[in-house]
Amino acid sequence: MNGHVVVVGLGFGDEGKGAVVDALCADRPTTAVVRFNGGAQAAHNVVAEGRHHTFSQFGAGTFAGVPTHLSRFVLVEPFALATEARQLEAAGVRNPLALLSVDGDALLTTPFHIHANRAREDARGNERHGSCGKGIGETVWYSLLAGASPGEVVEGQEVLGEPGSAPTVADCTRPAVLRRKLDALARFYAPLASPRHSVDELVALYRDFAGAVRITDGGETGRLADAGRVVFEGAQGVLLDQHHGFHPHTTWSTTTPHNARELLGGRPHTVLGVTRTYHTRHGAGPFPTEDAALLGRFPEVHNGLGRYQGAWRVGHLDATLLDYAIAACDGVDALAVTHLDADGPRVVLEPGSPAVDLDDPLAWFGARRPVALAGYGPDRADYRAPVTICG
Amino acid sequence: MGYGHWDDNAYAAAKTFRAAKGEDDFGYTANLRAKPAKEWRVAPALDPKNAIRECRDSADHADSTPIAVLFDVTGSMRRVPRIMQGKLGKLHGLIQRKGYLADPQVLFGAIGDADSDRVPLQVGQFESDNRMDEQLRTIFLEGGGGGQKSESYELAAYFMARHVVTDAWQKRGRKGYLFIIGDELNKPSLRAKHVRRIIGDDVHQDIDPASVYRELARKWNVYYVLPNQSSYYNDPEIGAHWSGLLGQNFLKLDDPGAVCELIAATIGLEEQVVDVDGALADLADIGSAAEGAAVGKALTRLGGRSVVTSAVPEPGGPDDVVLR
Repeated sequence: MNGHVVVVGLGFGDEGKGAVVDALCADRPTTAVVRFNGGAQAAHNVVAEGRHHTFSQFGAGTFAGVPTHLSRFVLVEPFALATEARQLEAAGVRNPLALLSVDGDALLTTPFHIHANRAREDARGNERHGSCGKGIGETVWYSLLAGASPGEVVEGQEVLGEPGSAPTVADCTRPAVLRRKLDALARFYAPLASPRHSVDELVALYRDFAGAVRITDGGETGRLADAGRVVFEGAQGVLLDQHHGFHPHTTWSTTTPHNARELLGGRPHTVLGVTRTYHTRHGAGPFPTEDAALLGRFPEVHNGLGRYQGAWRVGHLDATLLDYAIAACDGVDALAVTHLDADGPRVVLEPGSPAVDLDDPLAWFGARRPVALAGYGPDRADYRAPVTICG
Repeated sequence: MGYGHWDDNAYAAAKTFRAAKGEDDFGYTANLRAKPAKEWRVAPALDPKNAIRECRDSADHADSTPIAVLFDVTGSMRRVPRIMQGKLGKLHGLIQRKGYLADPQVLFGAIGDADSDRVPLQVGQFESDNRMDEQLRTIFLEGGGGGQKSESYELAAYFMARHVVTDAWQKRGRKGYLFIIGDELNKPSLRAKHVRRIIGDDVHQDIDPASVYRELARKWNVYYVLPNQSSYYNDPEIGAHWSGLLGQNFLKLDDPGAVCELIAATIGLEEQVVDVDGALADLADIGSAAEGAAVGKALTRLGGRSVVTSAVPEPGGPDDVVLR
């Protein structure tokens, strides 16, 4: 795959997108990894050359030396970004922030959003949505409130007070504008939750952030794509998509390839759908083929229980969900299949039917779409391009 | 002032971003030193001229305790503010998280030589959140000094005695903590013209420095820390001078990199929250085990004492300064 590649997860997340992006970047010269959805809640594990990192806002091509561009569809959280930069530095990446560019129109996730998100999820008690507690949904919701009045219900949530316009990355270079927007945020969320940071402190920190990363206009993805090969890294999975997932257990983000296609503006590309040889889900929500007995058979190295997200769940491969996810993408050109080392995976072919052995997973997936990349373990060295079996 | 909370994460994030853009942690100094010396000025926020500094209780901090750290910024002492800046998170974490003080508020200041420096005194404000980091970075590290083995510590002591108001004292009769970090002597006398020019008080007679420290000790636990980095570390005259003024609160510190840890441990000890061993264990706990040895050595006299043998009188002593 020499051209642009859009990597999307065909499950509920944790399909192996990070490892796939890393393998693609290590395999061919790549100009940039472009993130086209999600925010600081992403957790993409890459193991390569004796290093491990869980990529969150940095692209998973970082270990391969590929710069990251955060497009306007990404939510940017500077505190977490700085923490991740320090982790990457400790893992041997020199000045990681220099590898980063950000679209000025990208929304900022602030401590106000994070605290509100947690307060709401805590208040749900046993009815949790499976939120990561990182303020993602709250950031999107607040950005939709322009013109809304107090008491009005927008997207199922009551508007608490007088909303202002949502702060963006570009605002970080304009302290007066940023201060006005943060003041409005502080007033708006005061009845729900207040972070311990003062607006003054945030303005100073965000100004430092703006000085440390390159802030671009909306044309950056196009320029990168014209300069060379670009890998688009999706976050979360198609089954959590805001329009195609199972409400309310969804993420407030377009996880399908549509944002990437929009950024590409008609340039040719390959959409690569990533799937495990079984299904997983992190936190609450429907999971038809779930089987707790599989937890012991398919050990999980890098995923565990999240305080806000909830338990790690495992089930058989669900052919219906896989086909549904591919359809939600308006089709994928090829598959990347991960966890081919799993012990005795099985597949449920029709809803309600018993799981049957998946004797030759590569052949089974190849019958649906060409398999472009196969992963047999967590390490970059465990990834290879198989002989594609076409159906 | 005094509202908000210190946040290690925000402090670390700001440091990460500044490092990424190649910005010096002491950008104010870098900018000023690029200009001719006649344009060197104290940052307005740190200007002691006609200023009062306050450490007040607030809704967030009902039991505020002032901690003032004033360091000599002449010559070799310039390393100390850089060390402080790098370890602020640890200082605050140790004092607050280990329960040495509930609501510490920290003020930073810098001391130079009023006879020869352009910016001989800088005094910030008491802060309990990340503005203390900003304050530290705004200090001008002039690096001058006269070479006469004395700096204007007595001018700084005068400011702290006369121009600082604290709720800890006014409401609770509790002393604050003042750490002066330096390596030389006081000037033989606090010059009236320096007080007028730098602090703005209408004083017309020179004042005996010892009387300033006596007045100061009524409301403050005052320490002088002599870090081992100057030619005066083993000079008996320095030790005799400061021991004479502050008694056992004259502390010699082998490792200048342990200044932050020494301040925190001293407070823990003075508050009787920990003993020396406990303080060293706490240091190890926050990743300052290496500094522990120097701190332990510096604190032997302080931790072992059973009677206060300080030369300064207890509160209630004479209020009037001695004029000369």
